[in-house]
Amino acid sequence: MKKLLLILSLSLTLALSLVACGGDDAPDNTTSGASPSGTTADASPDGTTAGNATDATESATETTDDAATDPADGSPISDFDTDRVIAVNTREEGSGTRDAFISITGVGDDMYAEAVVDESTSGILTKVQSNDYAIGYVSIGSLNDSVKALTIDGVVPSHENVFNGTYGIQRPLLVCVNAEKAQVELVSDFIAFMLSAEGQEIVSTSWTKVDEDAPEYETKSLSGSLKVGGSTSVEPLMQRLRQAYLVHNPNVTIEISGGGSGTGINEATSGVIDIGMSSRALRDNEKEALTPTDIALDGVAVIVNPNNPIEGLTIAQVKLIFTGEITKWSGLE
Amino acid sequence: MAKIKESLMRAVFFAAALASVLAVALICLFLFAQGLPSMARIGLIDFLTGQRWAPRASEPSFGILPMILGSVYVTAGAIAIGVPIGVLTAVFMARMCPKWLYKVLKPAISLMAGIPSVIYGFFGMMVLVPAIFDLFGKRFDIMSGDTMLAASILLGIMILPTVISIAETNIRAVPQEVYEGAIALGASHERAVFKVVLPAARSGVMAAVVLGVGRAIGETMAVRMVAGNQAVLRMPNEYLKGVRTLTTNIIMEMGYVEHGSLHFGALIATGVVLFVFVLMINMLFSALNQGRKERGPKRSRPVKGGATG
Repeated sequence: MKKLLLILSLSLTLALSLVACGGDDAPDNTTSGASPSGTTADASPDGTTAGNATDATESATETTDDAATDPADGSPISDFDTDRVIAVNTREEGSGTRDAFISITGVGDDMYAEAVVDESTSGILTKVQSNDYAIGYVSIGSLNDSVKALTIDGVVPSHENVFNGTYGIQRPLLVCVNAEKAQVELVSDFIAFMLSAEGQEIVSTSWTKVDEDAPEYETKSLSGSLKVGGSTSVEPLMQRLRQAYLVHNPNVTIEISGGGSGTGINEATSGVIDIGMSSRALRDNEKEALTPTDIALDGVAVIVNPNNPIEGLTIAQVKLIFTGEITKWSGLE
Repeated sequence: MAKIKESLMRAVFFAAALASVLAVALICLFLFAQGLPSMARIGLIDFLTGQRWAPRASEPSFGILPMILGSVYVTAGAIAIGVPIGVLTAVFMARMCPKWLYKVLKPAISLMAGIPSVIYGFFGMMVLVPAIFDLFGKRFDIMSGDTMLAASILLGIMILPTVISIAETNIRAVPQEVYEGAIALGASHERAVFKVVLPAARSGVMAAVVLGVGRAIGETMAVRMVAGNQAVLRMPNEYLKGVRTLTTNIIMEMGYVEHGSLHFGALIATGVVLFVFVLMINMLFSALNQGRKERGPKRSRPVKGGATG
């Protein structure tokens, strides 16, 4: 009996402390500045972390709407202190998203050394969501309402704008095969499936299609086994493509491994694997041995906290921020 | 028949004992075989004292001095925060705690030791980091709450169970006569505890601190989530800026690194450095144990544990 009481009281204390911490959190986010009543709803992080792959267009327009209505309430975008330091968040060395981002924006090797480094998309989202002065970048497919995606050179980061090429920060997700494997029927059939209407439908769940009027896939009921490997950015897409492909071709087995784009390209060249995955375009010397096929496009969105009044940046400004040449929000004006 | 059984069982036990030694030996072998060649390729001096870590730049550079110092700072901070609290808690639990409270405290501390580090990390990320940013963000113009300070506080909390349980065991191991002698000479309870019992348990408390260091220096997940992870050389007074430790350097970049590349080797070599650190801590720990055995024959209970890293 005594023991039971003890356990009960212990768990109660724990529960209380948890609640206390949770309670702490909400005011924390709004106390910076003069604590407005209007923004609380926007800033509240509750329940927004899940990051279900919402349609990017939707979330982008939604956030713009929010920002537009704020001044109408008479509330407090002015609370955003532009003299504060920009909290730059970046991905770790070797991340495909980082590679694409730094090569397109021209940041290159000069990534701001003071930038906070995180090794996951969800980490970047959390950091940007919990810091009013933060900026970061994530794949368009991972955007959610807890952060605001900026327009780049005036273009909204959306699947449409990635598809028609107006949104600049994007990269291809591609598969590559060497000349010998290209002859294998199973290999070409799987790639045909990726480019079919059904395959592209799967792509559009989080990424951007490469072909809007893709042909229907017709199964040839093949059998055999395939090894696919390479980019970890393409891997989740490949997992879903495999699942759907196996429904049409139940006698096929497909093994998928990660290892990064470089590994995928090397092993596809040597024929260790049948299909290599890469999240960067092939270099000229790599194209000699391999035939690349773009299966999807992935845009990289620059994100800020929803309390940040800024709506868009130019690529040049993005570069200045991520190289540390501009360190305060006021420096943008 | 009995003899065969005897020798058979002997072999079984010997094999079991050998397995753990073998595991350690294999880990050593793997680490050094993979790490040392890369260290040599980078250059030992360049590797250990280089200030720039840019493994994928067009001119790659592998200097881990920022990470070595990062580990040292964060561990020192954790000790500064965790040891006073831990030792005082241990004194309280061993000598002053009412029985009913002890029954609550003891399981609570065991529970603390069992919480996975990622949970601590999550707590740090959602509570500590925003709190630090709100407190100091505007005043000191810092970029975010992901700082050396956040990592130190979090690690200070995480080493508490280690420090408390070992210090408590050792304070309890001080013979009752020592305490009673002090009381008989007219000391108050508090005076006897702090001036006589605690000093008598000194080397055991030191051992607790050393094990705390071992725990702090090897912690990865929680630190990664709150430390900011910038591979930049810091001074100790820059505790409101982010650091990267040896452990986080490995885990951050292991995911994407190309196997067999120099970058991969450099990460393993980082592991070698970390391993050497933990080895030194463990040696210090056994030296402390040794010293006590020689000095105090009357103490029978040994110190439990060993540094994990």
